[in-house]
Amino acid sequence: MTTTLRKKIDYVSPSRQRWMGGIQMALALGIWAIFSRSLETGTFTTFVMTPGGSEFELPNWIFSTLPTLNTFAMIAFAFGAYQFIKGFGKRTNLILSIVVGLFVFSFLSWATAEKSINLAGLLKGTMVRAVPIALGAFAAMINERAGIVNIAIEGKMLAGALVSVLIGSLTNLWIGLIAAIIVGGLLAWVHGILSIKYKTDQIISSTVILIFATGLTSFVSARFLQKYQHLNSSGIFHSFPIPILSEIPFFGPILFDHNIFVYAMYFFLFFLYFALFQTRWGLRLRSVGEHPKAADTLGIDVNKTRYMAVILSGMMGGFAGAYFTLGSVGRFDEVMTAGRGFIGLAAMIFGNWSPFGSFGAGLLFGFADSLASKLAILGVNISSEFLLMTPYIATMIVLAGVVGRGQMPAASGQPYEKE
Amino acid sequence: MSKKITTLFVLLLIASLALTACGSKDNNAAVVEDVPEVVVDPVKVCQVTDVGGIDDKSFNATAWKGVEDAEAAFDVEGSFLESQQQTDYATNINAFIEEECDLIITVGFLLGDATAAAAEANPDQKFAIIDVNYLAFDNLMGLDFAIDQAGFLAGYVAAANTVTGVVGTFGGINIPPVTAFMDGYAYGVAYFNEENGTAVEVLGWNPETQEGLFTGNFESADDGRAMGETLMDEGADVIMPVAGPVGLGTAAAIQERGGAWIVGVDNDWTLSNPEYADIVLTSVLKNMDAGVFDTTEEVVNGTFAGGLWVGTLANGGVGIAGDFDVQFLIDGIIAGDIATKP
Repeated sequence: MTTTLRKKIDYVSPSRQRWMGGIQMALALGIWAIFSRSLETGTFTTFVMTPGGSEFELPNWIFSTLPTLNTFAMIAFAFGAYQFIKGFGKRTNLILSIVVGLFVFSFLSWATAEKSINLAGLLKGTMVRAVPIALGAFAAMINERAGIVNIAIEGKMLAGALVSVLIGSLTNLWIGLIAAIIVGGLLAWVHGILSIKYKTDQIISSTVILIFATGLTSFVSARFLQKYQHLNSSGIFHSFPIPILSEIPFFGPILFDHNIFVYAMYFFLFFLYFALFQTRWGLRLRSVGEHPKAADTLGIDVNKTRYMAVILSGMMGGFAGAYFTLGSVGRFDEVMTAGRGFIGLAAMIFGNWSPFGSFGAGLLFGFADSLASKLAILGVNISSEFLLMTPYIATMIVLAGVVGRGQMPAASGQPYEKE
Repeated sequence: MSKKITTLFVLLLIASLALTACGSKDNNAAVVEDVPEVVVDPVKVCQVTDVGGIDDKSFNATAWKGVEDAEAAFDVEGSFLESQQQTDYATNINAFIEEECDLIITVGFLLGDATAAAAEANPDQKFAIIDVNYLAFDNLMGLDFAIDQAGFLAGYVAAANTVTGVVGTFGGINIPPVTAFMDGYAYGVAYFNEENGTAVEVLGWNPETQEGLFTGNFESADDGRAMGETLMDEGADVIMPVAGPVGLGTAAAIQERGGAWIVGVDNDWTLSNPEYADIVLTSVLKNMDAGVFDTTEEVVNGTFAGGLWVGTLANGGVGIAGDFDVQFLIDGIIAGDIATKP
């Protein structure tokens, strides 16, 4: 039912086609005018192709900067011109991403001219930075697909982070991880009672939970964790390379030499896609979020389904929170999630409430974030405040420009009242 | 039904607010310590903390240590009030004025306005404020730190210990109290290069353009980890994070990957974070306790005259932890022969 509603429209209007062509040609000219022209012939860019700490070494990739940039500019311009005149039809977005990719790559090559940067480290960092955002987006998605708005992902992350480090310090990492998942589920259950049973405004009830979780974790942290440091040093899950896969040249260490949280992100990406869109369970869950009355008529217990979704989402949020402690630094500090839960929420919306979309948005944010650090290290003359904004700006531009308007589940945010 | 919801909500809200308020430790009311009913001889030194609280293991705690040292050395009685939020600053200062404290110490840049107002309104009350150098009252002592001098030493030590020839740094936010560390660090590395004909490179800070690598916050230890990894990817094997607890994320990254050192900031990290003691090369010390102690001594001796106290290598206000052969640098800096900042 919902799949037909959500069918993608392939039609590209003439004005959009022209605009896209114009933008692509402008990017091509940008490569030439901003980057190429400020370079001298004979400069070389060095990309290190082995991420730090990896055993599988690849030789560095050294290329002559100027001819490469000129070639890119020409390719991008050709794409833009063809798009402007004839149009690529349904492949418009694909071509646009290629051109944007060329532009970003040219920018990086230009900034690295006569220097060297670890390209593999940049991409590996992208995967890691995407983890909390993608997991947060998955948590929000399970909720919203069932028609419950939840802006308290950040709160569940904080609670999960705190509990996992506390229990993890006292017992071991795995029990800490399970505790984080349980606490996330419990907080979500409260949200469920408020928003499903008592039909309160879901934004308000999740705000309450967010404030509660922030306050409680800060309190426990200040009172106990900072005073008794042995409660606040759980250690971390170390990364382990997946045999064979991690030996693939270049991509192996980037994708398959991580700790369990990155692998969990891969797993949930495919698992959620399958579960939500290929199973009866997923169809029921989505129908409750799109048209609860129709679902009820067909004999689906709307509230029960929603409770299940809310609690599963909370468990995912708690798991995402455990990344910050068990997967990253092994200790808790007040408000250490630093807004990643909200970025996850945004990634879900930009990703059009779908697993792959959310993951893509998370990757985009992670890439922009890693790129900004690399540019700061390279000493590109851009103010650091602006560099810190790049992840947010890039996410907004690309997703607003390319993805366009998303379709939220029709009944999201509305309590269901059985008549 | 609706009554139930209301009750539930009210409970949750109250709980949230109450817990948020206690987030920064002890309650206001309970904190005036050791103030006897009848005020007699001892000199009363009263400290108003910033929102971090008295046992924050860095800022407020270090300042309080100065009061405790003074208590041990002279006939001094210390007490403190913790600020839960910024609106508490003035309230706490006024409470101490009524207590007739001999010296009120306010800890931190953020208390500048409240302290200035109180100092102007109470010309007979003696004040001292940490990390503020722009206030000029006869009854106020500003305690400032030439932290670039200590950062210089750390940079020199870092350059002497790097194997890869690359050292790194990053900060929380691009503000002077943070970048002073980084200026000194970069200058120290440059001085080492000049002396020894090496070409050790500093990543993450350019003292000429005053731009570099920042996390944009002082909270996200995960950001600190990412910064540490990216700096190590570029070959840095000594990293100085100037971002409070964020730096502990960098320490975690270094400990996991190995082959690199960390430089602690504010206090000696081998003591405050013993789990990372084996990867701490040195720490850049900002000895706020020395400033508090010196000011208290002036009050005890009756020589307090306000003005500005600057913690330097010469008076022990700043320094580095660990045993390094840097006395010739210290002499050079004190003599003014070596520049530690642009």
